[in-house]
This record gives sequence, structure tokens and C-alpha cells, in this order.
Amino acid sequence: MREHGGLHITMVHRKRGHTHAPKTPSSVDTHSSSSTLRHTDHELGMKHRICMVSDFFYPNMGGVESHIYQLSQCLIEKGHKVVIATHAYGDRRGIRYLTSGLKVYYLPLQVMYNQSTATTCFHSLPLLRCVFVRERITIVHAHSSFSAMAHDALFHAKTMGLNTVFTDHSLFGFADLSSVLTNKLLTVSLCDTNHIVCVSYTSKENTVLRAALDPEIVSVIPNAVDPTDFTPDPCRRDNSKVTIVVISRLVYRKGIDLLSGIIPELCGKHPDLCFLIGGEGPKRIVLEEVREKYQLHDRVRLLGALDHKDVRDVLVQGHIFLNTSLTEAFCMAIVEGASCGLQVVSTRVGGIPEVLPDELVTLCEPSVRSLCDGLETVIARIRTGNVASPATIHRKVRTLYTWRNVAERTEKVYNRVCREPVLPFSERLHRLWSQCGAVAGSIFSFFAVISFLFLLLLQWLRPDHLIDVAIDSSGPHSRTGQQLSKKKVKHYTQLCQD
Amino acid sequence: MGADSGPGAPAPVPWRKVLYERQPFPDNYVDRRFLEELRRNIRVRQYRYWAVVRETGLIAQQVSCVALFLTLWSCMERGALVPSAVLWVCLACALLGYGLYEILGGSCVRERTRLADLQSATIFLAFTFGFSPVLKTLTESVSTDTVYAMSAVMLLAHLVSFPYAQPSPPGSLSLNAALFGSVCLASRLPGALHTFTMLSCALLVFALWPCLLHRMREKAEWSFPWAAVLVCLAGVGGLGSLWPEGALLLALALLTLTLVCPLLLVHLQRHKDNIHGPWDEAEIREDLSRFLN
Repeated sequence: MREHGGLHITMVHRKRGHTHAPKTPSSVDTHSSSSTLRHTDHELGMKHRICMVSDFFYPNMGGVESHIYQLSQCLIEKGHKVVIATHAYGDRRGIRYLTSGLKVYYLPLQVMYNQSTATTCFHSLPLLRCVFVRERITIVHAHSSFSAMAHDALFHAKTMGLNTVFTDHSLFGFADLSSVLTNKLLTVSLCDTNHIVCVSYTSKENTVLRAALDPEIVSVIPNAVDPTDFTPDPCRRDNSKVTIVVISRLVYRKGIDLLSGIIPELCGKHPDLCFLIGGEGPKRIVLEEVREKYQLHDRVRLLGALDHKDVRDVLVQGHIFLNTSLTEAFCMAIVEGASCGLQVVSTRVGGIPEVLPDELVTLCEPSVRSLCDGLETVIARIRTGNVASPATIHRKVRTLYTWRNVAERTEKVYNRVCREPVLPFSERLHRLWSQCGAVAGSIFSFFAVISFLFLLLLQWLRPDHLIDVAIDSSGPHSRTGQQLSKKKVKHYTQLCQD
Repeated sequence: MGADSGPGAPAPVPWRKVLYERQPFPDNYVDRRFLEELRRNIRVRQYRYWAVVRETGLIAQQVSCVALFLTLWSCMERGALVPSAVLWVCLACALLGYGLYEILGGSCVRERTRLADLQSATIFLAFTFGFSPVLKTLTESVSTDTVYAMSAVMLLAHLVSFPYAQPSPPGSLSLNAALFGSVCLASRLPGALHTFTMLSCALLVFALWPCLLHRMREKAEWSFPWAAVLVCLAGVGGLGSLWPEGALLLALALLTLTLVCPLLLVHLQRHKDNIHGPWDEAEIREDLSRFLN
């Protein structure tokens, strides 16, 4: 490989402690020149081939989906190859290409409940194996504990000898039966995963306790928000009134019952106050009842389900953003609200105290009294004009969480992970059996053995060397990447000549 | 900052649990303050053996009630008891029970008037009497074994789903299961009057007795253990007249239930390991329905 502009060549060979069919060695890469002069000389130039797996992806809209998309885009920008595998959404099945050559596999797996596929530990092995072999994947990154396909993919990746990373986006309880079973499944899934990523310190503590993990293999990498999507616009709001905006799913977990107590209390005390509530859910009826009872039709507007692109337009119409959740791992909504220049009032639960500095958020206990007091303080400050301007707030929030920072930290996780050897099969069985308890460990060791035998059968039926290797659409060997690198090299040499 | 594995030099700034600042620690850094907000077993109740034994009296007496009912049914089926006699005894018991209920509940505000009570009693009795010929022929085409199996399952369901924590009013699933089981059994009796008697007994035992017992527990705490013991003895004795081995089994079961199970419960509390921390879902401790009422 030729040198580009004086940067080093790094050769990395990875060892595998396996008895499987030999894998192709990892890519021998220089720095991709599309990620250019910003990088320092001594940084490892290793580019990975990553497969993100989750049930939740576009066209479904949500936190996990946008996290996967934004992270993938930033990793592609850094020169890695990223492929996404998810299940088919209705007619949308097969392969689709998104921006920057992000390839998405919509696999025809049956959806069971709430956009999550069925999990049997076996039925997705042939399809996922095809994806991993065709794309020559080296790291499998699964997202979200609620996604059965993610856990399946982790299971199959370990059987195939690939490195694995898991990102957890939510907090769980421990007390009821469903939590106990889910936590046991999570322990089984994560006992031999190379690295785990959580979105806040509280989430890290929660995941470490749930899955009985070593805290050294859990990294905390927060979510981020795209500040260009959420810019303030003070002209859009009515300064004769004080508007409180609430945007969330209207479910019990989001504290809508608290909201139903706050509305009559505050609307009674402040005649110029109004509420703008976006989102849909089973608790909408509670809000409508409160509105009906206190005759607040002109002061409480229920907007119903909002498209993602309309969220910003609703946010900029408000002065205050209220979040009443009863539990949150990392609340994206408050960062979005702050980015639009609103004053944020929120309950002090889960990971929320870690998210915004004290001058940008007012934290309250999860009770009607405390939230009302907090809101009154902020309303008084707004009336006296003792608040920072939306543009100032936006400027502060803009630098706090960026997707590029998330991608940089995730890249460090990948670099660390691919230096680790994948557990050989006997070790894996031993770890399942010893760390996951007698019953669950035995059952899943049995599944692991069956899965291994199934993989051998598939490798005999359709050997790896007969599977066509796909053409990269992202990463260092992609055609788009090479065209881009040619242009950049040309620019650099022109600069040198000048 | 990143997931480095080597130990870094100790940073001069202390680690803070915040995400909005870039801290000079790797992402997988474990501070000594990790899990400092973890609390274990903060809401665990301390059980005392004899208090738990007292509470299990309720379960034991409910099992004995079922045994008593089955004894009664068996006697009527064999013809050892005349339905009219049983009816008079039932009426007497009902009046006695009603009187006791009224005396004990003297200071309580009445939710229903006596007239309303009389009305519902009349309606129940009239409808049951009117429909007893129909109910008698209900399971004619069903084999005896099936009827017995169904009744057994229903009575078991009654015992399992009985609201032991709040027995008054009796829960809908348990009451319905018990009544269905008794209808199945009552349809196997020789005459329509037998069926009517059986159903009236079932209403007394399964619908009205738990209410009286609950009232007795609330107002005259001392009477509850005696009532429970009395019912258990009656159940064992009644079953003994039919089937001595069954009585022995029942006695053993009741003893296990009342003496051994509380011992297990108290003994196993040491293994309790409830975890609490900032990740728990917040509980709303106030009554928010006041905003809607």
C-alpha cells in the first residue's frame, strides 16, 4: 500500500482462537484520506467493518433509531465501513442505501410485538451469517435490550467468532417477574460480549447490576443531538403569555398523571399561562378529562402525534420545556428543548441529573407540589426577564453533546475490542455455565452447541469461500470513498505545489 | 479520554457524575463512588412467627369451608340429610349471621338499607328456587367423572384466587368459580329441592361467610382465631364421618399450612435481596384522582 502524504502504514493482524473455518485477516489499512488532516499522525489507522443490528430502525422513528443512524453516519465519515441489519417493515424488505452509502439490510424475519421479532436463537442464523460473510464484518454492534434480533445477532456473532459490542438505551427494574426473567436473559446475552456501552452513569450502574458484569467492560458514551435541527426562533412565540411545552408519549412512565395535576394548579394561579402538549398515547384521556373539568380549552392544546420533523416547530413556540418522566436513562427531549432555547424543568429521576448543567435545567422531585414550585420559580424569572436569551442557551448546548464526539468515543471502544481475542467455544460454554446460573446456563450452553452444529452444517452446505463478497458502499475500499479520496489527494498535492 | 486499558496517572480533578463535561478519565473508568447510591432491603418487613400463624388461619378456614361444603353435599346425595331440614338450618344460620353482622357493625355507616338487603335476599332466593329445576338437569348429558373433575378444578380455582388480603367483598373470580362448582355438584342431586338447598348453602358458605368473618376480624379481633379453629375442626370432623383417610389428609394439610409454611416464610427472609437505587421508577405518592373529582 502506498503512503499518502507522509502518514504511517499500520499493519494489524488479528488472531483467532477458534477451530472454525479460517477467516480472512483484518483489513490492512492506511488512513483513509477522507478523514484528513484533522487526525494526528500517531493515531491507529485501523478501519473496522461494523454491522449495527437492531429491530428498531427507519422507517420507525425514535431515539434508538436516530442514534443508530447518526452514529453510523459519523463512523462512515471517519472512514469505517458500516452496514445495518434490521427486520423488514411491511413491504420494505431487501437492501436499501441511505446517505453516504449506508447499506441497510431489511431481513424478512417475522415481527411479533411492538416492532420486535421472535427469538428462537436459530432461525436468523442463515440470514445473518450471509450478511456477516458477504460484508466481511469484523464487529457486530447490537442496540437495545428490547430488540430480540439484537440478542440473536450477538449470539450468532459469537458462534461465528466475531467481536461484539452492545449498547443499552434504557433502565430496567428488578422487582417483578418479567424483570427477573429479562435480566436473566440479558446476563446470558452479555456474559461473553466484548464490550458494553451505556448512555449514562446511572444506566451503567443499572446494567452492571442487572447482568452481573465487570464494570471495566462497560463504557459510558452519552447520546447526542443534532444542534442544526433544533435552533431557537424567539419570534415564533407569543410574549404576552408564558407557554409550557410538553412533548412525549402519553403513557404512565412519562408521568402524565403528574401533568394532569400540574395543569389545574398552575392555570388557576396564572391566567396568562398556557400548555402545548404534543404526543399520543393511552393517557391522553386523562388530560382531556382535566381540560374538560376545569374548562381550559383555550389554554391547553393537545396536538396529537407529531412527526419528527415537526417537533422543532412546536418547541420554538414555548418558553418552558417540561419533562415529568418517572424514569429515564438519558433524556434526549430535554437536550432538544434546551437546544431550542427553552428553559427546562424536569423531574430528578434516572440519568437526568447528569445530562444538563444546573444553569440550564431546574430539577424537581417527582410530585405535583415540587414540580409546581419549580415551574413557578422559572415563570417568575421569565416575567422579570432574568433568563438567558434562547441564542445563548443554544450556544451552550450546542457544544455539550455532538455525534462526532460519540463516534470518536465509540471508535475507541472498537479499537479496544478488536485487540481482544474472541472467546473460544469451550471457554464460552464454561462462562455461560458458570456465570449465568445453573438452569439458564445449561439451557443456553445447549443452545450454543446446537447453534454451533447448525453453523457447521451451513458452512458445509454453502461454504464461506463460495459466498460472493459484496462491493463496499462505505469504508476505505468503497467506490464513493475512493473517488472522494482521489479528490482530496489532488487538493493536497495542489496545496503542496502552491 | 477513551476506553484505554492501561492505568493513567491520577488526575488532579475529582471525577464527577456528569455527562456534559469532558472529563480526563477513560469512558470505562470505575470511580470508588460507583454504586454508592445502591441500597439493599430498605423496605423489607420483619415477620414474626406467631403473627403469621394467625394470618394463615384465614387460608386454613377457607380450605375447611370447602371441605364442609363437600361433606354437606355428600350427605345430601346419600340421602342422610333431608333438604327441608337443611333449609331451615340455613335460614337460621343466615338470620343469626345477619344479626351478628349488624351487632358488630353497630358504629359503621350503613351503605345499604335493611330493605335493600331484604330485597336482594328475596330476589336471590326466588330466582334460585325458580331456576332450580333447570339447574338440576344442567349436567344430565355430562358424565359423572367430568362433573366431579370440573367441580374439583373450580373449587381449587376458588381457593387459589380467593382475595385473602381483602376478603370482603369476595373477589369475582373466586366467587364465580365456587358457585359454578357448586352448581355442577348440585345438579347431581336427586331432586329440585335438593338443588335449591345446595345452592343456598353455597351462597351462605362462599358469599356471606367471608363478609361476616372479615367483620369479626375488624371489630372483635379475639374471636377470629376461635372461629377459624372451629371451622377447621368442623371440616375435619365432617370429612371424618365420610372418609377417615381424607380427614387425616386434611388435618395434615391444615397443620402444614398453619405451622410449617410460616416457618419457611420467616426462615427464608434472610435470603431477601431487594436492590434500590436512582434507576428505580419513581412512585407517585399522592392521590391524583382529587384533580378529577
